[in-house]
Amino acid sequence: MLEAKFPGDPLPLLEINVDNTSHISLREPKNCLLCANKPCTYICPSQVFEWEEDALKINYSRCVECGACQQICPENIIWEYPRAGYGVTYHY
Amino acid sequence: MDTYDAIVVGAGPAGSTAALTLARNGLSVALLERGQFPGCKNVFGGTIYAQPVAEILPAFWETAPLERPVVTEELWFLHTDSAVRIGFGSLRFARQPYNKFTVLRSQFDRWLAGEASKAGAVVHLKAHARDFVFDKGLFTRGPVQGVRLDNGEILLSNVVIIAEGVLPFLTAKAGLLPKVPPAYAYTLYVKEVLSLPEEKINDRFQLENNEGAIIGMVGFPTSTAIGKAGLWTNKDTISLIVGGYLNQLASQGLSPYMLLKRLKEHPFVKRIIQGAELVEYQAHMIPKGGYTFLPKLYGDNVLVVGDAALMISGRRGTDLAMLSGKYAAETVVQAKAKGDFSAKMLANYALKINEAFFMEDIKARRSDLQYYQNWSDADYLISSILNELANEFFTVDFLNEKEKRARLVSIIRSKQFPLKTLSDLWAALRHWEAL
Repeated sequence: MLEAKFPGDPLPLLEINVDNTSHISLREPKNCLLCANKPCTYICPSQVFEWEEDALKINYSRCVECGACQQICPENIIWEYPRAGYGVTYHY
Repeated sequence: MDTYDAIVVGAGPAGSTAALTLARNGLSVALLERGQFPGCKNVFGGTIYAQPVAEILPAFWETAPLERPVVTEELWFLHTDSAVRIGFGSLRFARQPYNKFTVLRSQFDRWLAGEASKAGAVVHLKAHARDFVFDKGLFTRGPVQGVRLDNGEILLSNVVIIAEGVLPFLTAKAGLLPKVPPAYAYTLYVKEVLSLPEEKINDRFQLENNEGAIIGMVGFPTSTAIGKAGLWTNKDTISLIVGGYLNQLASQGLSPYMLLKRLKEHPFVKRIIQGAELVEYQAHMIPKGGYTFLPKLYGDNVLVVGDAALMISGRRGTDLAMLSGKYAAETVVQAKAKGDFSAKMLANYALKINEAFFMEDIKARRSDLQYYQNWSDADYLISSILNELANEFFTVDFLNEKEKRARLVSIIRSKQFPLKTLSDLWAALRHWEAL
């Protein structure tokens, strides 16, 4: 079970089998500094991306695999599916 | 090494239907699912349609895991504290042959893959096809020979049916994606499943027994972006969904999670879900690229079905996915009989798709994508003006009817410049769709 990141965070409700390596990476982390509004930090439905001081933190364990991040930031975000058997399992 | 007549990548509605059809016709087929069970990563807008599904699985309602047959449909033009509502209810839809059912994908998809398995398909769980195995060509790579799983395992087949869903990784690797769809060719939705006792659901939606309802919402739920919200009844849960065009959410600074949170606070939504307990949160995208971004549907030894083939028309998708899976499978059955799996033979699949009733709609809707980008204020305008007009119309005051009519006209006139209203109306009549 994931830890809640903020009050009311729905992520702890989900069954997520977290792999030990990340399936999300950046082509060039420094480029995020120049990104104006950092849409990944608000477009991601499960708040995987977090701006911390001067770097982008990627909480890949929170990913629910919609793939939206790489669509809005194909320049810098490399997103793949987690390995088989890992990631989110919905029950509803 | 295993060799199959066909490998189907993805055990969603399209893939499982393809595998089922192939197995029924006596072909050997492997059905691959990257999750722990089919449906465990799938999300949709709530309902499957009785007639198209029965075409593949006659009288499926006797055995499939269904939630409720839908008898009431409403569309709400939601504004900050009001709503213009239209709808239709028919108790006929509660009886055979039914019209549509709410289902939970984790159960329905699992059941459908189970039907394919019963017919003889070999279902591989936790099997993620990350790449193809290509035949060696003289100078370039040859045609597809099979797939490589992410654990290194290789599966070989005469044909690979790509049913990978909204993200076209394999479709691109097969060289079937001439135009990579941009962000505006996707919508992003988030959803909450809220648990509530059956009696309370029935009371709040005015239903009896297992009857179901679905409410679509436009306007308020997506703030300033083009999109939709939906609220529908399962047996003992309610699903609430909201989302819109990905590029608009991004450029307008809208967080889908925050939109959902905001929608739950709307007084008309709040009173329906009051006291319900959150049991799951989900997110998914819909490929809205349509005819403009249609991938090539076939190649040597390979076919594309379902979301990966952009088989989406308005709110229809699951049924079109299943039909495309069926057509692909039928094409492969004939190809096996002929002993020819080349692109020339598999082109029959594209023919079947082009002849299908839904392709006419997909073609006709091709300019809608551009409409929603150029007229991104359409949902806001339509919803807010309808609510302002209705508010004036229903308010009882001291105006005579002539004055009242003048007031209504002035609401429209003062909304924006008349030329824009005319051009908006003309475009909306041709492109705007409520559902």
